Amino acid sequence: MQTARTLSRPLAQRVAGDQPHPPAPSPRLQGGGAQLPQQVIEAACSALDRGETHYTDRPGIPEFRAWVADHLRERYAISVDPAEVTITCGSTEARFVCMTHLVPPGSTVLCPGDASRIRGAAQLAGARIADSIQDDVCLLYLTPDVYRETSIELLQRAEERDWWIVYDLSFALTSSPFHPAQNEKLASRVVTIDSLSEQLAGWRLGWMAGSEMALRLRAGKQAMTICTTAVSQWAGLEWARTLF
Amino acid sequence: MTTENPNIPEEVRAVAADGTQLRYALMEMAKGLDDIIALGRGDPDLDTPPHIVDAAKAAIRDGRTGPTPVKGMDALRAAIAGHMRAVNGLPIDTENVMVSTGGQEGLFLAIQALIDPGDEVLVPDPRYTSYDDAIRRAGGVMVSVPTNREDAFNLEAEAVEAAVSPASKALLIVTPSNPTAGIVTEDRLRAIAEVAIRHNLIVIVDEIYGKIVYEPWKHFSIGSLPGMAERTITLDAFSKAYAMTGWRCGYVAAPANVIDAMARVKQVTTGPVATVSQWAGLAAITGAQDCVGDYLKVYTDRRAVLLDGLDRMGFAYGEPRGGLFVWADCSSTGIHATELSYLLLKEGRVLVFPGTAFGEKWREYLRITMLEPIDTLKEAVERMLPVLERYRA
Repeated sequence: MQTARTLSRPLAQRVAGDQPHPPAPSPRLQGGGAQLPQQVIEAACSALDRGETHYTDRPGIPEFRAWVADHLRERYAISVDPAEVTITCGSTEARFVCMTHLVPPGSTVLCPGDASRIRGAAQLAGARIADSIQDDVCLLYLTPDVYRETSIELLQRAEERDWWIVYDLSFALTSSPFHPAQNEKLASRVVTIDSLSEQLAGWRLGWMAGSEMALRLRAGKQAMTICTTAVSQWAGLEWARTLF
Repeated sequence: MTTENPNIPEEVRAVAADGTQLRYALMEMAKGLDDIIALGRGDPDLDTPPHIVDAAKAAIRDGRTGPTPVKGMDALRAAIAGHMRAVNGLPIDTENVMVSTGGQEGLFLAIQALIDPGDEVLVPDPRYTSYDDAIRRAGGVMVSVPTNREDAFNLEAEAVEAAVSPASKALLIVTPSNPTAGIVTEDRLRAIAEVAIRHNLIVIVDEIYGKIVYEPWKHFSIGSLPGMAERTITLDAFSKAYAMTGWRCGYVAAPANVIDAMARVKQVTTGPVATVSQWAGLAAITGAQDCVGDYLKVYTDRRAVLLDGLDRMGFAYGEPRGGLFVWADCSSTGIHATELSYLLLKEGRVLVFPGTAFGEKWREYLRITMLEPIDTLKEAVERMLPVLERYRA
C-alpha cells in the first residue's frame, strides 16, 4: 500500500517526526499476569462468568470509585466524593485528559521533576513544559518524588496564582502521607492521578480523582474511550480491596 | 415547544446544545427512575459469545496479561489484516493495522494524527456527536454534508463535492450510520471515492456496524476501491458485532505511516489496549463467525417489531438498512424531540434519545435502539403510545 500523501501537515509531522515518549519502566513493574494472585484471577473470571462484558458506568464501576475515595481519605486524609472519581485506561489516559482540559494551548506546565510522563501529552495539548516558574504557568505537575520543600514552595505559588495542580502518584518511588489537597484552599484545584499499572500491568487501569473540574475531565475521557475495560475494573477492584 | 420549556428539568436543558452530554444527562436521569426500558445507549444486551469469554479466561489463568506493544499484539494485528483482506477487500498487511481502545478511540487517534487547526472535516448530517470533541480538539472545522429521509440517509457524492473547499482535509463516513441506520451503498461509495481522489481528501470511514446489515442490503468498504487504500482510514471494533462493548477493543486499518503516527499519539494518550481484551478480540476474529449471523437474525426480528410499533405511533422513518437503531421522524406529534424524550422517559418509563443529540437541526427525530428482547420492545411501544396520545398537538 502506498502512503498517504496528505500526511504532511504540521501536527502530523510533529507527532510522526518525534520519538515516542514511553513511560520510563519502573523497577517495580511486574511482568503481568504470571504473578497475579489467585483471588484476582478468580474475580476477573467471575466477572466474565456473570456477563460483565458490557459498557460500565462511564466514570467506572461504583464500587471501584468508592474504593478510590476511601483510599485517598485513609491514606492522605483528603476528602474526594466518589462522584469525582473517574476510572481511566491507565494513568496515561488520566494525564492526557488533564493536560488537554486544564492547560490552554500555548500556556505552560510547571514540572519540577521528571517530565517524561507528560511530555507527549503536553505536546499534543499545545503546551510547553518548564522546570521553573514562568508568567504563563497554569498547571503544576507534582509527584511524591519531588523534594517536599520544593513542592511546598510551589504550592504556595499555585495558591497565589490559581494554578491547577496534578498530583501523580503512579510509579512514584517515594511513599509519603503528604498530599497537596490537604491544603483546603487548594483542594478544589487538585487532581490526583494513580494507577494499578505496577500491580496489574497490561490491564490498563488508572484513575483521576477530585477537583472542581472532575466532571469536565470525565467528559474528556468519555470522548476518547467511553469507559474503561470492564473486566479490568473488576480485577482491579479485587486487588485494591484485598492487597493494595 | 422547545428545550426552553420549563417542564424540562435544568439538568437536561443545561446540556441540550451538546449532543453527547445530552445523551448522558438522559441516561443519568433514567438511572434514578424505576422500571425503565432503555432504548438509548448502543450497548448490545446480548452477551459476548462463550468461546470469546473462554479465550479471555484462559489468558487470565495462563498469565498472558502482561503489556503489549502500543499497536497491539502482532498475532491480533495479523489476524485483523487477514480478516479485512478477506471480508472487506482491503489490500492491507499487519503493518497497516493497529488495535484501539474501542472504535471511538480509533477516530480520536486518526483525527489527532491527521487534522491540523483550520482543516475542514466533511461530516454527514445527522452525525454521531461523540466525534465532535476529537475534531474540535485538533482545531478542525466540521462541515456538514446533508442527508435526508427520502434517500434513506444515503450519502450523495454531489453533496460531498458541494461541501468541498480548499481547506477540506478529510471526509468522515459512518456506514451503517449512527444514528440514521442508513448505509452508504456501493454505487454511492464509488462516486464518493472519485470525489475524494479528485480533491485529495482523506476518507475516515467508521464501519463498526458493517457486520449488522439487513437483507437485501450489503456492506461495502470504500478502502477496497482502486486508489483509495492510500487515503482511507477504516475504523472497526468488536463491540457491536460480537457484543463486546465492555472489552474496549477496536481496530484501525490505514497506510503504514498513518498507523505509525496514530501509535505515537496513542502512546501518550491511552497506551496499549488491555491485553485480556486483545485475546478476546483474537478469539472473536479467528473463531467461528456463527455468532455474528445469529445476532443479526435476532436484530432483524427486533427491527420488524420496532418498525411495526413506529407505524402504530404514526412515525415516519428512512429504511433502517444496518446498525442497531431506528431514526424516527416524530414531527407528527408537534413536540420538540428533546421534550418528547423527556416525556417518554418520565411518563412512559422508556429511554430514547432526541435527534438533537445527533445534530442541532434534528428536533423532529428520535433515535431508538433495538437492544432489548422482543417482548420488552413490545412493552416499550405500549408504554409510548399513551404518552404520545396525551401530548400530541
